[in-house]
Amino acid sequence: MSAAIIFGLLIALMLTGMPISISLGLTVLTFLFTMTDVPIESVALKLFTGIEKFEIMAIPFFILAGNFLTHGGVARRMINFASTMVGHWHGGLALAGVLACALFAAVSGSSPATVVAIGSIILPAMVDQGFPKRFGAGVITTSGALGILIPPSIVMVMYSVSTNTSVGALFMAGVIPGLMLATLLGLVTWYRAWRNDYPRMAKASPKQRLDAFRESAWGLLLIVVVIGGIYSGMFTPTEAAAMSAVYAFIVAVFIYRDMPLRQVPKVLLDSANMSAMLLYIITNAVLFSFLMTSENIPQTMAGWILGHELSPWVFLLVVNLLLLLAGNVMEPSSIVLILAPILFPVAMRLGIDPVHFGILIVVNMEVGMCHPPVGLNLYVASGITKMGISELTVAVMPWLLTMLAFLLMVTYIPVISLWLPRMVGMM
Amino acid sequence: MILKLLDRLEETVIATLMGAATIVIFVAVVHRYASGVSWLYDYARMFNLSWAQELCIYMFVWMAKFGAAYGVRTGIHVGVDAVINRLSTPWRNRSIVFGLLSGAVFTGIVGTLGLHFVLEMSRTEQVSADMEVPMWLVYLAIPCGSYLMCFRFLQVCWSFIRTGELPSHDHSHVEGIDVEEVVHEEEDHVDEIAHPEAHDFHLDHDGPHDFRPGSHDFRPGKER
Repeated sequence: MSAAIIFGLLIALMLTGMPISISLGLTVLTFLFTMTDVPIESVALKLFTGIEKFEIMAIPFFILAGNFLTHGGVARRMINFASTMVGHWHGGLALAGVLACALFAAVSGSSPATVVAIGSIILPAMVDQGFPKRFGAGVITTSGALGILIPPSIVMVMYSVSTNTSVGALFMAGVIPGLMLATLLGLVTWYRAWRNDYPRMAKASPKQRLDAFRESAWGLLLIVVVIGGIYSGMFTPTEAAAMSAVYAFIVAVFIYRDMPLRQVPKVLLDSANMSAMLLYIITNAVLFSFLMTSENIPQTMAGWILGHELSPWVFLLVVNLLLLLAGNVMEPSSIVLILAPILFPVAMRLGIDPVHFGILIVVNMEVGMCHPPVGLNLYVASGITKMGISELTVAVMPWLLTMLAFLLMVTYIPVISLWLPRMVGMM
Repeated sequence: MILKLLDRLEETVIATLMGAATIVIFVAVVHRYASGVSWLYDYARMFNLSWAQELCIYMFVWMAKFGAAYGVRTGIHVGVDAVINRLSTPWRNRSIVFGLLSGAVFTGIVGTLGLHFVLEMSRTEQVSADMEVPMWLVYLAIPCGSYLMCFRFLQVCWSFIRTGELPSHDHSHVEGIDVEEVVHEEEDHVDEIAHPEAHDFHLDHDGPHDFRPGSHDFRPGKER
């Protein structure tokens, strides 16, 4: 009963268009004021303690690191490197786009920014070479979503915070699915380019490849700092995030010289703005899951599902549908923060691995970024290609279907996500 | 005038906290490894940096509370606007005003709760674990930040009623890339362009704070 009231209230408030954080907080306050005798002072305390964890502080650091390297200059280097590597195959520049998105995503962390950075450089070049605009738009819109699967990923930190799963293991687990998805998207691109005989580029000489690699290597080392640092035990995840922020600063300002020193305060301000928004959602989501727990909702749900002897197979299907549905209206961080604490206990009772469950959620969020009505990537791509949303929806279809198929694979073949972290002994 | 000063102060505080927290953790990590090197050990031993983690958390909490207020001004707090974008303009405006006022009410309540909490705390002798600063000083971030946020919501609401404009945040802005210029693809000068204030496109679903519902949908794409 109380569950129905809480969710009804939350959905009603959300639909008025107010910020998600505010609707979460207002739901909790309204419910506590009117329906329970939980002392309201405890709410004030929760508002502070909600983000008083050192693990959460990885988020602002990763955002800062990403903002230092989310720069046109870095994108250009990645594209150069990618096109020397794969440019001579069918659909060369489009394949380079997929690879460049994967590389850029590894340093940037923001999916829409990846679409803009790679897309606005590579799309005009593709049109010049004679690719249809639709084809290019489809490739970049979907490949841009790779960012939240390839570590470092903010969404994974969010999941780990709300379910107490190890960030290191999640990052490790994201590597193989990330590479697989990039390969799959590349294969679709290659196949369509081969069928339609789209242009290829001249094969680059080994020297050109080496030069292009040297240029882009500084940026790519960021992921080595993060993963290597956490894996070797040199840093905790939050420390790794802080180190990567300092590293990104040095690369952007002193090595690449993309960014003059006087621009640093602006990057700090932008990062603070974005982090504060996310931390504010976290605060209110913590408040919300406190209410959920005090009303015993996740436990009741778990009991109900176990009582009906729902198999994990069906449960995962329902979870996927629910998340895809939520992906229609909300952005990934909010979905993870609201739904993970509710779904997680059930998944645990059904014996699903926490890391596998996290990767499943993240892949699902990726799909959500690329499909209408509110896929952020679609809107951004529509901005740079000047194509309508409905036309773009058609354009992304082949890749979107590939992503959906991949989602099913990740859902039902846990070993894809669990092999690497097990292999290196992180879980 | 005073408002301008408040704006500047807000921006300076959160940017500084962001940078300072990064440096604190960086120094603490370097210090930890320096202590392991024999010839640096004596120098490293002179400082005790065990409080760094706590300081970082408190800095980020303050950053988060004031940054959230700044975020209202920049329109970064996103909501679900799929439904209200389909409403007629008067209803849409009404629900936007409702959303902003709810924000003001919520942050107002939270600020007041926080204030009570801080007042109560200030009568106790509670101090933080590592740095031993009084806890009420730390928790002061809640009332200050929330009241500021409340003020920002009212400010945005007022300017929306007067001018019909809402701040909106561009999630896809990338430094060193200008979307308009790139269409004509000129490698050399793209790097030089400073972030243009007015971007050619905005994300329509970018929170409740955008005033042009679905304008992209009316932009016919070129058939190939």
